Amino acid sequence: MILSGAMCAAYGALQAQEPPPAESRSVWDGVYTEEQAKRGEPVYHKECATCHGDAMAGGESAPPLTGGAFLSNWNGLTLGDLFERIRKTMPQNAPGKLKRQQNVDILAYTLSANKFPPGKTELSRQTEFLKEIRFEAVKPETKK
Amino acid sequence: MWLGWTRRALLLIAAGAVSASAALAQYKPKDTEWPSYAADLAATRYRPLDQINASNFKDLEIAWRIKTDNFGNRPEYKLEGTPLMVNDVLYATAGSRRAVIALDAATGELLWIHGEHEGARGANAPRQLSGRGLAYWSDGKDERIFYVTPGYRLICLNAKTGMPVATFGSGGSLDLKLGDDQTIFPDLTTGEIGIQSAPVVAKDTVIVGAAFREGMTPRSMKNNKGYVRGFDVRTGKRLWIFHTIPKKGEFGYDTWMNGSAEYTGNTGVWTQITVDEQLGLVYLPVESPTGDFYGGHRPGNDLFGESLVCVDLKTGQRKWHFQLVHHPLWDMDISSAPILVDIKVDGKAIKAVAQPSKQGFLYVFDRVTGKPVWPIEERKVEVGEVPGEWYSPTQPIPTKPPAYSRNGVSVDDLIDFTPELREKAKAIVARYHLGPVFTPPVASKADGPLGTLTLGTASGGTNWPGGSYDPETHILYAFACNSCVEPIGLVPAPKDVSDMNYVAGVAGKEVTVMKGPGENAGADSPMPSKKPAASTYARMNVDSLPLIKPPYGTITAINLDEGKILWQIAHGETPDLLRSNPAFKEWNLPRTGQMTYNIGTLITKTLVIAGEGQVTTTADHPRGAMLRAYDKQTGKEVGAVYMPAPQSGSPMTYIVKGKQYIVVAVSGGPYSGEYIAFTLPTESD
Repeated sequence: MILSGAMCAAYGALQAQEPPPAESRSVWDGVYTEEQAKRGEPVYHKECATCHGDAMAGGESAPPLTGGAFLSNWNGLTLGDLFERIRKTMPQNAPGKLKRQQNVDILAYTLSANKFPPGKTELSRQTEFLKEIRFEAVKPETKK
Repeated sequence: MWLGWTRRALLLIAAGAVSASAALAQYKPKDTEWPSYAADLAATRYRPLDQINASNFKDLEIAWRIKTDNFGNRPEYKLEGTPLMVNDVLYATAGSRRAVIALDAATGELLWIHGEHEGARGANAPRQLSGRGLAYWSDGKDERIFYVTPGYRLICLNAKTGMPVATFGSGGSLDLKLGDDQTIFPDLTTGEIGIQSAPVVAKDTVIVGAAFREGMTPRSMKNNKGYVRGFDVRTGKRLWIFHTIPKKGEFGYDTWMNGSAEYTGNTGVWTQITVDEQLGLVYLPVESPTGDFYGGHRPGNDLFGESLVCVDLKTGQRKWHFQLVHHPLWDMDISSAPILVDIKVDGKAIKAVAQPSKQGFLYVFDRVTGKPVWPIEERKVEVGEVPGEWYSPTQPIPTKPPAYSRNGVSVDDLIDFTPELREKAKAIVARYHLGPVFTPPVASKADGPLGTLTLGTASGGTNWPGGSYDPETHILYAFACNSCVEPIGLVPAPKDVSDMNYVAGVAGKEVTVMKGPGENAGADSPMPSKKPAASTYARMNVDSLPLIKPPYGTITAINLDEGKILWQIAHGETPDLLRSNPAFKEWNLPRTGQMTYNIGTLITKTLVIAGEGQVTTTADHPRGAMLRAYDKQTGKEVGAVYMPAPQSGSPMTYIVKGKQYIVVAVSGGPYSGEYIAFTLPTESD
């Protein structure tokens, strides 16, 4: 069966919005897009950088969001855990202020700052999907 | 007029647990109890208990645990408290509102809770969250708990019921923003002054210091001042006040040239105060004056900034003082309790006081006369060139004991796992001014130097948890961050940011106000300002590895009879990022310790106990941090138990109903605050 152009486009759009079927994925599998990270950057600077620093190096009030301590804090957990921490408790003086889409875009920007690879699909803003992406500090060895 | 109303849940008055117990003729602290924030008024963090020892430490189990999430209106992720234990009851500050909780010390059952809802005044406090602890007082009959709220009010509670004691202050509370020999500006609600440390009760006096916002980018050269006060423990009447910034006519006023003592502020005592009740002397560790890194608006030595001051317990009169840093420019505020140590040097018994510090020096003085036990020499230091700044040509440097943690930065301190990494590190630091301790900050230039690279300044060495002391062996123990590198650069401050000429910053980046720990994090807080922080915590790493070579964090044992280092170990598992590096095995590294700054040590009859400040995942344990025990004579590790999160408050220990417990606060990252109590398994297990 040959898909019409319109159907191809519709199918393509569907692919961009929804995450692939549930399988074992980690932050090394291209789980956000460059565009999403670019959207998150100005939101980060407006809402987060006052405490976490404009280079995410942290300050005395807030820990860094890149580097060894950050990676080991979340290693073994999921992006859903990190997302919920942001969504429920950040920014520290007005938690819940940001919309889900803003929070997940900030998360994408944080992943890009930590040099996790971008990919073709955006991070979903639904916690249950984010819980299926493992946060692994170290790139797993390539499977044979 | 402030009309506070309080909520307390009176859950249970258990006759057994909370009664006045056998009527005590006069309250005398027992060795099995922990009646003071730092164990005792000498701040030893020591208890002569050894039911928990090297043979069984690894078998410790969690006896009980309590999360602090619901003691305020949001969870806290920075739980720094050390509880007290008296008469089988554990008292602690907890939660984003800094409530006080009383627990059955054997089971962790909540007995009562008291919380103050301070509204806008609490929200504007410079030091928020649950703070470091509280104080206990008893005359043998009445038992009371004292603590200071984020909004800077001293509260006195009945220890049995948690109810405010009506005869203290005004209905149980004292407004510390009043009666402070200054008018707190701009007003009592928003005026910047507070405290996070525990008050001290000695004889019948309650002593309270003061804290402010972080001082790297102050909004003004003018600020409220951090005087120290002593109050009557029964009535709250002010007994005395010590002006850490002297008033006109007082000794030290002219060390602030051009009348700068009039408007300069800060210079408070935000950390733990110690008292010798027998001698009737109080030891005050004073912080930096306004402007941690720039002092052009306060020329002169600035007494008593960054000084150890001894005052009379009854009158607050200064007996002696020693300024550790003249004209402070490095945020080397005295960050921890001055520890009272009875030592024997060259055959002579000395009642001494030992002060750990961020700069890695231990300053030891005769605590009666103030005379240094070993010479402290005034040595010439580099004079800087920041426009308008005033510099002290010399700084005091102790000759003994040797520095126990790095201060100053040289190429030799850089990562050296491979020659390539060392070269990369050298390229990074080429953009900074390097030098030994007391190398002055520089004006930041985009093409270099970006700043002065420092160790042993803002978060270096020993911070608020302080050290511990073993009165049996005369050995002092201190954790230190040996690698907490910080670049200090100054940039002209835009007028809408500060009225100071210079504040901390990096050339080319927008300058705004850096926020302090817990600021705006409390239960009632408003929104922050919107501009990004020009962080002086620039990313200091080489290929994701720390710029400074190990050991990253250490515990040092110092023999105070000899002024010598007995042993030094790296404290903390090697971080995940190093161990998972493909080249890790080639580097052949011993355990590196961890780069954290807030670890307190606990000393018992045989052990030094301290938890890790960072999470790791190893073959031995899932993601978490370990509570480690070391032989106190040799530093050899003798046991470790798992904690689900890093140690964020200093551990304490006690015996109740014949069983020894260790209680420690954990929190950080994804893990909200929790007090965890460990004990040995029961015989039947």
